[in-house]
Amino acid sequence: MFGFILQRLWQAIIVVIAMSALVFCGVYAVGNPIDVLISPDATQDIRAAVIAQYGLDLPLWQQYLAFLGRILHGDFGRSFVYNMPVSELILSRLPATLELTLAAVLFASLVGIPIGMYAGYKPHSVVSRAVMALSILGFSVPTFWFGLMLIMVFAVQCGCMPAGGRGDTVSLFGVDFSFLTLDGLSHMVLPALNLALFKFSLMIRLARAGTRELMLSDTVKFARAAGLSEFTVLSRHVLRLISIPLVTVFGLELGSTLAFAVVTETIFSWPGLGKLIIDSITSLDRPVMVAYLMLVALLFIVINLVVDLTYALLDPRLRKGRA
Amino acid sequence: MTDTTKTPATGTPAMPLLEVTNLKTWFPSARGEVKAVDGVSFSIAPGEVLGLVGESGSGKSITGFSIIGLIDEPGRIVEGSIKLEGRELVGLSGHDLRAIRGKTISMVFQDPMMTLNPVLSIGTQIRLALEAHENISAADARERAIKALAQVRITEPELKVDFFPHQFSGGMRQRVAIAIALLHRPKLIICDEPTTALDVSIQAEILAEMKELVAELGTALIWISHDLAIVSSIADRVAVMKSGHIVEIGPALGVLTRPQHDYTKALLDALPSRAKPGQLLLRGSGIADAAPPPRKAATANLPPLGSPYLVIDKAVKRFEKPPGLFKNLAIRSGLSQPVSGVQAVDGVSITLKRGEVLGLVGESGSGKSTLGRMAAGITVPTSGTIRLNGQPVMSAGRNPKKITTRIQTIFQDPFASLNGRMRIGDIVAEGPLAHKLVTRAEAPEYVRQWLAAVGLDPTFANRFPHQFSGGQRQRIAIARALAMQPDVVVCDEPVASLDVSIQAQIINLLIRLRSELDLSLIFISHDLSVVRHLCDRVAIMYRGSIVEEGEAGPIYDHPQHDYTKRLLAAVPVLPEAAE
Repeated sequence: MFGFILQRLWQAIIVVIAMSALVFCGVYAVGNPIDVLISPDATQDIRAAVIAQYGLDLPLWQQYLAFLGRILHGDFGRSFVYNMPVSELILSRLPATLELTLAAVLFASLVGIPIGMYAGYKPHSVVSRAVMALSILGFSVPTFWFGLMLIMVFAVQCGCMPAGGRGDTVSLFGVDFSFLTLDGLSHMVLPALNLALFKFSLMIRLARAGTRELMLSDTVKFARAAGLSEFTVLSRHVLRLISIPLVTVFGLELGSTLAFAVVTETIFSWPGLGKLIIDSITSLDRPVMVAYLMLVALLFIVINLVVDLTYALLDPRLRKGRA
Repeated sequence: MTDTTKTPATGTPAMPLLEVTNLKTWFPSARGEVKAVDGVSFSIAPGEVLGLVGESGSGKSITGFSIIGLIDEPGRIVEGSIKLEGRELVGLSGHDLRAIRGKTISMVFQDPMMTLNPVLSIGTQIRLALEAHENISAADARERAIKALAQVRITEPELKVDFFPHQFSGGMRQRVAIAIALLHRPKLIICDEPTTALDVSIQAEILAEMKELVAELGTALIWISHDLAIVSSIADRVAVMKSGHIVEIGPALGVLTRPQHDYTKALLDALPSRAKPGQLLLRGSGIADAAPPPRKAATANLPPLGSPYLVIDKAVKRFEKPPGLFKNLAIRSGLSQPVSGVQAVDGVSITLKRGEVLGLVGESGSGKSTLGRMAAGITVPTSGTIRLNGQPVMSAGRNPKKITTRIQTIFQDPFASLNGRMRIGDIVAEGPLAHKLVTRAEAPEYVRQWLAAVGLDPTFANRFPHQFSGGQRQRIAIARALAMQPDVVVCDEPVASLDVSIQAQIINLLIRLRSELDLSLIFISHDLSVVRHLCDRVAIMYRGSIVEEGEAGPIYDHPQHDYTKRLLAAVPVLPEAAE
């Protein structure tokens, strides 16, 4: 097990280094930040001074090394636009995205998996058929449209839910969270629901397919023959057996939602990372883009590591092979 | 009570434990009702063992599932009654049935690999089964689990209770399943082919232990099996099933030695252990099939029958796990030991004479299939040579390939070995066309001749494999192999997945084609009676080596090696026919 973790960490470091190089080069292909940074009527001297200040006159590889060195010290540079340290900027936005994403993914899993298991358990019932039809809708309806509909129905027509923003926040360990206040929670419901829709459908379908297959297996027959109740069969045997593909998808979805909740955050003006990255791309705020992309790579690596460790926890057959 | 029901040890006159009357379990399908069980009646006394025998599709398993109330949708019991100690089970609610399942009636299934949940520890699975019928604390459940494991002769039960199924061998897993079935001291256990997936020696152990446990606990058994010999060794009474009916029921010895019904007689006649070695089996049919098409390949330079033909010299096969990049570096720099591989075949030398049938016998993991695959040129040996008529079977170089078409293979599973998307005519013609044994114009006629030769209707050529039964598919696989006009055919468990009557047909087909085509066969099997029937010479494999080799008769009658003796002793034997 220890060797496995070590191996994965080693791989993670390689991926991070490769990612940093890719991100750095990629971002350099996008426009010239100087044009954004200083007014067009600045003198050539001021221009040169600013270029030198940001180290933009050095060759690319020197800039990259300097950039790597700064990252190692935890310094991602200052945002050109906000003129504050990027790490601070991202940290101020990250909790908003984090709580929204977690709410969405947890909702999708905690509600979607039981529904999916029910649909797999009784595949021919009317409820199951309705659930499956709705899940196809969940796959095919575009996020932005669903978000707009949510706002129209709940915020505009019925007026029972706020249309955007985070609402009241509570500061915990120096960061602001919405989910601790009632007002914040009510602001979270619609965007979380919107974000969850696709994952919800995915979880339902996965759980259903797995359950349906397993209900015909000898494992389930044997458990039933021993007199286990249907609930025990489902909760102890089936759930454990279908959990491995579910955890995989959970991990992937958590990562991609954290990184790309842009559409939902924009529609509900949720001040999260997604909005930040869109803003920084339009204003060519390089340090923010670089830091953000690095963060996303890191997130995926960490999530995948956790998923792999969870596999070993869920399936004893994997423990031995990798020990 | 009829005099056929046994009185239990307690001495009280037997009221039947279970009484099944006119049971009908049907499965509605698009083509109408499938009458899986269609009017079955029998009764079991307490402590009695009833063998339920039949071929696949005879309804024997469905009868078992009907009794325990686990018929899969959309099947249902349409008629009849199942009375457990006088209480009607048909029509009971799901809740009431569950209270009986595991408590009064329990069940053991065929494949212990599939029945135990791979991600839960044995202790947890036993605890769940205990909790199903009683309130029990975790500590008590563990205590009971350890006792239950000890009861089925699992050593170190305190340690094994925390094991997961994959840490057990097949036989051990089946013991765990039996322990779970015995937990609540049920009055009846339904065993559905419980030893079919196991090696003979393990099967013999489980059989002996089951007999003991049943006698000790006074549990009645329904032993469902396709294997008459096994049933005869455990059952007090035997019921023979065919297409949903019981055609014959009576005391085990009587049914098996003096069968009354034609079907029972046919089943017994199909067994190779009942016939003289090498003879066509009585009910096997296929004797009058068409002759195979003439061979095109030159037979001039073949050695005479009986001279050494396929020579395997010191063949070794190791399966190694390739180490990863870093592990490899570590090994090279001396920081780490190389990963140890698995020695599947350990320096085997054996010679197949032209025209003979060589049987390779062994339990799973003995290396017999790997040796067969090397002989057939499918697997590259780690070291050693395999020569056919003096010529190497594989090309030299880094990526050796099979370079002869004179060796062909027939595999065990006719469902997996035929490409489901190809018409069988194309399947059979593919190889001969590729090797220019026939021209494209001749191919259809060639295929038709071969299909006729293996006893199939030649007009089947444009059908797909899924339209055939298991036995027919194995015929197709044989036609495909023989259409290549080989001299040597490696048959890897070709009848293992087939019913006895189908098995008899395939055995007859092999016997006939072998003499018609002067084939040399390597016949790999775990079934000692089939090998005895078909093979001239036998090699017994154990852990990658051949422990004994020689003429079939002497080996079976006077085995020399301890392992051979154990293997032969483990084979269940049918009582001799009365005549």
